[in-house]
Amino acid sequence: MISPSPVLSIQNLKTFFYTREGVAKAVNGVSFSISKGEILGVVGESGCGKSMTAFSILRLVPAPGKIVSGQVLFDQQDLLTLSWSRMRQIRGDRISMIFQEPMISLNPAFSIGYQLTEALCVHRKISRLEARQRAIEMLGMVEIPNPEKRINDYPHQLSGGMRQRAMIAEALLLNPDVLLADEPTTALDVTIQAQVLDILYRLTQEMRTAILLITHNLGIVAESAARVVVMYAGKVVEEGPVKDIFEAPAHPYTQGLLKSVPMPGQSRGRDRQDLYEMKGIVPSLFQLPPGCAFHPRCPYAKDSCFQEEPVGSTISPGHSVLCWLYP
Amino acid sequence: MVWRRLLRNRIGVIGALFILANFLVAIFAPWIATHDPLKIDIQNQGAPPSSSFLFGADEYGRDIFSRVIFGSRISLYISIFSVLFALGGGVIFGAMAGYYRGWMENLIMRFMDAIMSFPAILLAIGILAVLGPNLYNVVLALGVVYLPRFARIVHGSVLSLREKEFVEASVAMGNSDWIIISRHILPNCTAPLIVQTTASLAYAILAESALSFLGLGAPPPAPSWGNILSDARNFMMDNAWMTVFPGVAITLAVLGFNLFGDALRDALDPRMK
Amino acid sequence: MLTYIVKRIFYLLPTLFLVAVIVFLLIHLIPGDPALIMLGQEAKPEAVQAIRKELGLDQPLPVQFALWMGNVLRGNFGTSIHSKIPVIQSIRERFPVTFVLTTLAVLFSLLIALPSGILAAVYQNTGKDYLIMLATVLGVSIPGFWLGLMGLLIFSVHFGWLPSTGYVAIWEDFGEGMKYMLLPSVTLGLFMAAVVARMTRSSMLEVFRLEYVTHARAKGLSEWSVINKHALKNAFAPTLTTIGIQYGMLLGGAVVTETVFSLPGLGKYLVVSISMRDYPVVQGCILFVALVYVLINLIVDLLYGYFDPRIQYQ
Repeated sequence: MISPSPVLSIQNLKTFFYTREGVAKAVNGVSFSISKGEILGVVGESGCGKSMTAFSILRLVPAPGKIVSGQVLFDQQDLLTLSWSRMRQIRGDRISMIFQEPMISLNPAFSIGYQLTEALCVHRKISRLEARQRAIEMLGMVEIPNPEKRINDYPHQLSGGMRQRAMIAEALLLNPDVLLADEPTTALDVTIQAQVLDILYRLTQEMRTAILLITHNLGIVAESAARVVVMYAGKVVEEGPVKDIFEAPAHPYTQGLLKSVPMPGQSRGRDRQDLYEMKGIVPSLFQLPPGCAFHPRCPYAKDSCFQEEPVGSTISPGHSVLCWLYP
Repeated sequence: MVWRRLLRNRIGVIGALFILANFLVAIFAPWIATHDPLKIDIQNQGAPPSSSFLFGADEYGRDIFSRVIFGSRISLYISIFSVLFALGGGVIFGAMAGYYRGWMENLIMRFMDAIMSFPAILLAIGILAVLGPNLYNVVLALGVVYLPRFARIVHGSVLSLREKEFVEASVAMGNSDWIIISRHILPNCTAPLIVQTTASLAYAILAESALSFLGLGAPPPAPSWGNILSDARNFMMDNAWMTVFPGVAITLAVLGFNLFGDALRDALDPRMK
Repeated sequence: MLTYIVKRIFYLLPTLFLVAVIVFLLIHLIPGDPALIMLGQEAKPEAVQAIRKELGLDQPLPVQFALWMGNVLRGNFGTSIHSKIPVIQSIRERFPVTFVLTTLAVLFSLLIALPSGILAAVYQNTGKDYLIMLATVLGVSIPGFWLGLMGLLIFSVHFGWLPSTGYVAIWEDFGEGMKYMLLPSVTLGLFMAAVVARMTRSSMLEVFRLEYVTHARAKGLSEWSVINKHALKNAFAPTLTTIGIQYGMLLGGAVVTETVFSLPGLGKYLVVSISMRDYPVVQGCILFVALVYVLINLIVDLLYGYFDPRIQYQ
């Protein structure tokens, strides 16, 4: 499913991990696209391969992982075929990434000013002084108070929310085309989450940056994403506009995910409902079930689900699903 | 489970074999040596290696091969007993400091810090300077120098374990302090203690040979490897062989403990799968 | 930052006190009568009495300690029994040699150890790594003084490239001085090089697993920058502590090295004094070296704050 004028397009990406215990198929044939200025949510439980997909885009897959096949089309080139030095030019400049835990993803030994200006000086030929000015401006735009003072601080001197905002500032400083946001708010308090997300959206709207919003939190996807990709065991099981996915989820996994979100008042009153639990657990990536990886937990599993991997089908424009329930 | 991990590490096995060889040589020295290591034979002064003098002879005509073989006894004796001393003392002081806390902890650990403020060899030299060089004093001196390391390990372990419930339960049962310490707390720090023991054994062999070289270790004519090297130094111009073999012996002995100790540490590391 | 420095120094004082106590007690461990031992068994009773009075050995122990401490704090480290020269003067003459020796040894060892450790970490589990690890295990197993002897044997006796004994200060004539210092400092530094290489390797491996390294790569920084700037600065902190501790081993090892190479440093002076039973010298030298070691570790502690800024604010 290719959206109009995609800025980044992943085709059948496969990233496997070769370990002593066997081969873990972390990313097992993932395809999706993202357009300029679009916010694409990528949801799934831990271990479903969403982070690895992001790492694969930047070709930062740690050993013993390897990108086995597929294409990552960006700016009319396949990133997977680029030379290392060309790839370096793209990283941080055209495609940047922010990470889950800013305490450990910001280097504790350098001031945030240093870390912000570093990428700027490497990718653009400007002086440290000018880079510092821009960094201060950016810190102001992410609503960090007193940016001229704060720029000299070390990461441990900032609060969690400020650190994440500093990381956002760093990632957006070079005005990238795509921002890979790997669980950007998971490590933050709920009240701060809203703040950080707000800043993120505002800035990227202004700059028309495409965001790949990776999270397991359906709430923030519902609020801000335009389209959603649902991943399970290394594959995309459903993809579509947010409205469609949330109102009429097609894949049993997506349905289960949505049912699992507790609603206020759910457990009290006359129409009491127990918290919904999907039966079973996420399979080990070393021993995926045959056929459809979800079938052991699927309430609608039929024979074909045990035997063959399902083929993608389109339900409605822009909404596709990978399931034998749909022809 | 630890044993299996240990055996899988081939380097560690090699180290263990070295250590075993060291012990065997020391135990069977009288049968392996070709001559009496103390027998002086001026006629053969400075003889190069030959079929009768495998490593050659020193300036007194003593067979170097036999001296090196018997030297293994001295180095093993000193390293084992000094480390035992350090281990025993370290456990006692560390446990006392960690368990009773208060001024006792402060005093003991500060004292340990003070001992560790001296470069190891220097303190040993100082102690031997005043007590005089003989085997027992070397054991004492090295024991004192290594004691603080063991004390720190035990102290740390005791501190972290004393708050746990099984200790409280033991106290509630009315067990005496020492039973609690020995039965419940100490078994939990055996891993780092074992690693420190192998490391200290390696250091002790190096230290003993250095001290003997300086004339502060096993008194001559004892065939300590350090002594042999000290003699060799004066004779270096004429007979180079005296210098080579004792040093190789020291290196192999220490290597054994280091290789085995490394493998042991890897096997005991909970982070390795 | 200043409070951090002051706090560290303050924390040291009780330990320093105990160090002084230990050094003081050393003389009093001498079995028998120290005065008699120092002068020899045939000394006349009046001489023995005189020396006993001179060293204050007839006073009660705490008084002796107070007197001795008072002297030390004023820079009086005692007087040699044999040469009558104040110990502090001998120290002033000889310590520079030892200092140059140990400093050269540190520089040499860091020059070898840091790149090796980094290389071994980057090429983990490959041939390069195993080779370096093998070298480090050998490095900690080979006795330093034996290496010195072998070095002398090969480079001095056999090839005649380097002199075997003698000394020229490197600030007087760098070239000549280095000829005399090269072999001693290399053999002295080898053990430390092996230890620091290992420490650097394991520390770097720990850091490589951390997310800020991936983040640095994601910013498009060159691999060189990622390893040698971002990773190393963090990895260096624990390595620094190791360097400080190893300096102590160097100071001890210097005693042996100076003996092997006949360098006119503090170490050799100490050994010679021991054989002459010149206990005030022994005491003074040991105290001085211990103080130097404490100072080095303090400096290392303070430097730690530069490499790991989180420490400063505790």
